[in-house]
Amino acid sequence: MASDVDTAPLVGRADTVRALRSALLDDVAPGHTAAVFLTGESGVGKTRLLAEASERLRDAGALVLTGSCLDIGDASPLHPLRQALRRFDAEPAEARTASAVRGLLQVFDEETPGPDGAGALLERVSRGLQMVAGGRPLVLVLDDFQWVDRSTRQLLLYLLAGLGDLQLSVLAAIRAESLQGAHPLRRVLTELRRLRSVRVVDLAPLDRAGTDELAAAIVGTPLAPDDADQMWQRSGGNPFVVEELARDLRDGRDGLSDTVREVFLARVDALPQHAHAVVHAVAAGVEPVEHWLLAQVVRLPEEELIDAVRAAVAHRLLVSADDGYRLRHRLVAEVLAHELLPAERAALHRRYAEALTSATAELHQARLAHHWRLAGEPGRALPAAMAAAREAERLHGYAEAHRHWSAALQLADAPAAVAPDGDRPDPVEVSRAELLEHAAETAHHCGEHARALALLEELAADPAGPATCDLHIRRARYLAAAGRSAPAEAEYRRALAAADCTPRERATAAARLAELLLHLGRYGEAGDQAREALELAAAVEGSTSELVLASAALGYSEAFLEDPDAGLAVMRNALAIAERSGRPEDVACAYLHLAELLTGPLNILEEGVVVARRGAERVAELGLGRTWETRLLAIATNGLFRVGQWAEAEKVVAAALRHRPSGADAVELLLARCRLSVGYGDVEASDRDLEAVATVLAGGGARHVLPMLILRAGLAMWQGRHDLARQAVQRGLTESRSDDVIVLATLAWHGLRAEAEAHASRTVEVDPTAVRRLREVADRVAGKSEKAGAPVRYVADGFLALCDAEVSRLDGKGDPELWARSAELWDHRNHPYPAAYSRLRQAEALLTRRSKPATAGRLLRQAYQMAQGLGAVPLSSEIRTLAGRARVTLEESPAATRPVPRRRKAAAEAAPAVDELAVLTAREREVLAAVAEGLTNREIGQRLFISERTIGVHVSHIFDKLQVRTRVQASAIFLRNRPE
Amino acid sequence: MTEPVWGPVHQDIVGLLADHPADVPAVVDHLTKLQDLLVRLPPLEESCPLADFNKLYLTITTSVLNGLYDERFTDPVFLARLDVEFATRYFDALRFWTESSPNTPKAWSCLFQRMRGPDARPLPSAAAGVNAHINYDLPFALVTTFDSLESEPVDGSEQHRDYLEINNIFAEKIPGLRRGYLDNWQLMIDMLNGDIDDWYQGELVEYTRNVAWRNAQKIWRCRHDPEARECERTRLDDNAALLGRLLLSPLGAFLQ
Repeated sequence: MASDVDTAPLVGRADTVRALRSALLDDVAPGHTAAVFLTGESGVGKTRLLAEASERLRDAGALVLTGSCLDIGDASPLHPLRQALRRFDAEPAEARTASAVRGLLQVFDEETPGPDGAGALLERVSRGLQMVAGGRPLVLVLDDFQWVDRSTRQLLLYLLAGLGDLQLSVLAAIRAESLQGAHPLRRVLTELRRLRSVRVVDLAPLDRAGTDELAAAIVGTPLAPDDADQMWQRSGGNPFVVEELARDLRDGRDGLSDTVREVFLARVDALPQHAHAVVHAVAAGVEPVEHWLLAQVVRLPEEELIDAVRAAVAHRLLVSADDGYRLRHRLVAEVLAHELLPAERAALHRRYAEALTSATAELHQARLAHHWRLAGEPGRALPAAMAAAREAERLHGYAEAHRHWSAALQLADAPAAVAPDGDRPDPVEVSRAELLEHAAETAHHCGEHARALALLEELAADPAGPATCDLHIRRARYLAAAGRSAPAEAEYRRALAAADCTPRERATAAARLAELLLHLGRYGEAGDQAREALELAAAVEGSTSELVLASAALGYSEAFLEDPDAGLAVMRNALAIAERSGRPEDVACAYLHLAELLTGPLNILEEGVVVARRGAERVAELGLGRTWETRLLAIATNGLFRVGQWAEAEKVVAAALRHRPSGADAVELLLARCRLSVGYGDVEASDRDLEAVATVLAGGGARHVLPMLILRAGLAMWQGRHDLARQAVQRGLTESRSDDVIVLATLAWHGLRAEAEAHASRTVEVDPTAVRRLREVADRVAGKSEKAGAPVRYVADGFLALCDAEVSRLDGKGDPELWARSAELWDHRNHPYPAAYSRLRQAEALLTRRSKPATAGRLLRQAYQMAQGLGAVPLSSEIRTLAGRARVTLEESPAATRPVPRRRKAAAEAAPAVDELAVLTAREREVLAAVAEGLTNREIGQRLFISERTIGVHVSHIFDKLQVRTRVQASAIFLRNRPE
Repeated sequence: MTEPVWGPVHQDIVGLLADHPADVPAVVDHLTKLQDLLVRLPPLEESCPLADFNKLYLTITTSVLNGLYDERFTDPVFLARLDVEFATRYFDALRFWTESSPNTPKAWSCLFQRMRGPDARPLPSAAAGVNAHINYDLPFALVTTFDSLESEPVDGSEQHRDYLEINNIFAEKIPGLRRGYLDNWQLMIDMLNGDIDDWYQGELVEYTRNVAWRNAQKIWRCRHDPEARECERTRLDDNAALLGRLLLSPLGAFLQ
């Protein structure tokens, strides 16, 4: 009977297997990622399909790692990946791969807790996987994905977003039933399925033909029409049930089972006694259950055990693999759960726990805790749960650690059971306060704010708990993290008033309170509080962190209250103090706040960029490259973008991304890079970054979605997709807070611009409702920005000027005065991109009105020069188009800054002795040399180690300077002037 | 060949459901298109019970959308996400039903079964939909929304206030829909519940929405425990299905 196992052919899935192979391997461009999530009901054949697809992918040259998630909860962070690596390690492989796998496994073993540990671990894991892959495409295949732990989920999103710089595909199977209700994966999948690189495949039951084929294959001959009808009726095409019914039919049994659950029930009933015990034992264990472990739990002589296992396998309830035994389906465990007496189940768990105590195995502590708890031995489960919690903390899995600490608390509270064997060890002495403290802190770290606060209340009631002031500060911290500012403020004030408050604690509470008030927009109070905190901190040795925090709050508050110089001085001083006496984090933090202050509210961009870059170098020296350097470089990138040094910004962002940042830092950088790509008009690169951002955000953090929507709208406009731009803006408007004046102003401008351009280009109908709403938003923003601080008001005014001007395009021919005003505002702010855009529109409005053609020409030339300086390809080409229509020569003026003689070409023909290439920069000459060799932009980019896009920019500069239109013409000039 | 679930408009509905709306404007657009299809479903057409519900839902969601544009809410990210997540569950139920899947929530099946007849009165039909949507879908939509925003259902929070603001939208829209049926409504509710004080006028919705918030808090606490979560889900599904069947029974017709 054992030979019966797995002989059924895979029916009706050939297309799916092919589709999986192309989605996960063939269609994935080098360096890209892809994922397929396979959902389907129990018995529909997900696991089988995974195995089949894995084999095909392996045959096609991919490196396939397979693991599965466990249903004992968040047992251990990254368990499925570690399991997959161990399984792979057990297979024969070439030496290089094997050592890479072991190296990566060691990474997990040697991981220690630390600041930014989670992010650094992600980076190390992706490097490790890259070594394992060794240049081959890597496919991660995960079964029972509905039980995935949070750390694994975040790792996958990080890798799929391309942040790990790894060509990876993921194939995961999910039981459809578990996605009902409030499963955390639901939302993740909804977000992911919108991405081009991700597919969610709902695996349907077989159709009638498939059902007939499968049944016939098992029975050996096609079914009689009546039987076939009945088969179809009863199985509903579920391959598992079809197989079972067909077997019954073939063997002349009268099967009564119509559902997967019933099938298992019937099979369990038919098992011989020992096999029955084996299946029960595996069901109570944590899969895979190793053979030695099973032997100790079942307590059968070796021969009998093997017979029993064979019988269980033959009855298709158990699967045997190299690493141990698994139930054929988790439904078996659910079916069996109702069969055992509580005492029997407890006895099984006790045997597991006893066997595991003396031997280390995978998930050692988590398994011990699990089994001792279910054995009714809280006293023995407790130390294991604590060890499992520490183990999870070590791998930065705070969610998992929190669950173990919570379990430990429950165990500590549980009444000690009467020991059945009398050899109970003495109860472990554990301080309840310590458990509460760990549980609260891990809850805080994993975002379970309400739980953290509840635990803190218990801790407050505990006589061994912390002192009053400490409690208030902690409560305030938790409340602030939960976004509940008002109660947080009250707690800080209570801390400050507490009798037992030490000077150190007072400084901490005051500095944090100042920061909180700043976030609440109460600048005056924040400033006062910050001054107080500064005084307190000055009196306490070693309170540099508080000093930096308070200085930043003061700096910001002054910037908003219009004494920027005073605030700046305070912040500079804080940096100096941090450099003298602070920890590396204090130095980093001071640089960050100073750079933010300069590039943000003060709009002193050049200096801000310099500070950010200097700070980045400094913190790299201090060993904080991954976190703080990337943050500082993100600030530098955004500053450089705004002042119009795009090429430089591109270099900086690339350097920052080499650190493989994760989470919010990664999102910030991807958005910064995308902003550049949208400006350059590089649709493919922009799209890729937007997808990556959406991938990271699928794991949580919908609050970062607005900048993404703004970029999406900007990109759609350059593509002439004004309908898509409108959609992105509408979504943005329905998801922004009414006090977020700058975001609303930006959205309003994008929306009005989309409508105005739709109007001008007639690509889509103007939507009058949308226009009305956008104008309302602009009006409201105008009202609010009057009351906002000066820095906010300046930015909002710039966007509102753009809005007014766009509206004039919708109403008529566009008002050149309004565009002139916008250009002036943006010039004043030193932001060339919107300033150049405004000039283009001003010129357009003048030309449409046929007034002041000379002014229009001058504006166009200015705009063109600015756009070319930026490398803003779509903007330049729009300017060129308008100039062409208006017969404006863009490089006409002899007084122009570039010394390009107008009749240079003719002169050159007459007197080739003049070096026509003198107008080119050294880089441009290099590029031109390559153009003359007939290389494409891509090839030149590869040769000169710069991006293809930058080559495009250089080439267009070269064309402009040489006044030519084709590569052939440019090459001719080059060859004519080439040094002999 | 058996007739497809959605008869002559089957392909259109399958096509519509293949798309997953990502924001509130898209949800309104979806519901509008769905309404146009449902009223073409024979034999009931205009009086399709699901169309009665869909129409009410469309009205409410349009008001929510306007509220978002008009800055009616403090935390629009939360409310917008909730609205989308909420609608997703309705579209998911329709998708399951389209595929004749056993996963169709029972709370919804009882209304879907009546799509092709026998006719039910518009008011109880709409009420049966509201029942399934609020009593069954809403707590889960809340949990998922909080989860994805890395936030929590806390009483008295900004999100809670925004959530309660929806009750006012119901209150604004329901009188028009309910005009003239009030007395019977009260009697019906009286019979169901025995406590008229909590249930009169628009407070049916308010009451059930508060229950949904409490249920969301309950699920929130056990959301990491698959077994407890599933247990809670089944309980809500069974309860909502019970009330739904009652609303669609001859007793429900009494409402109108």
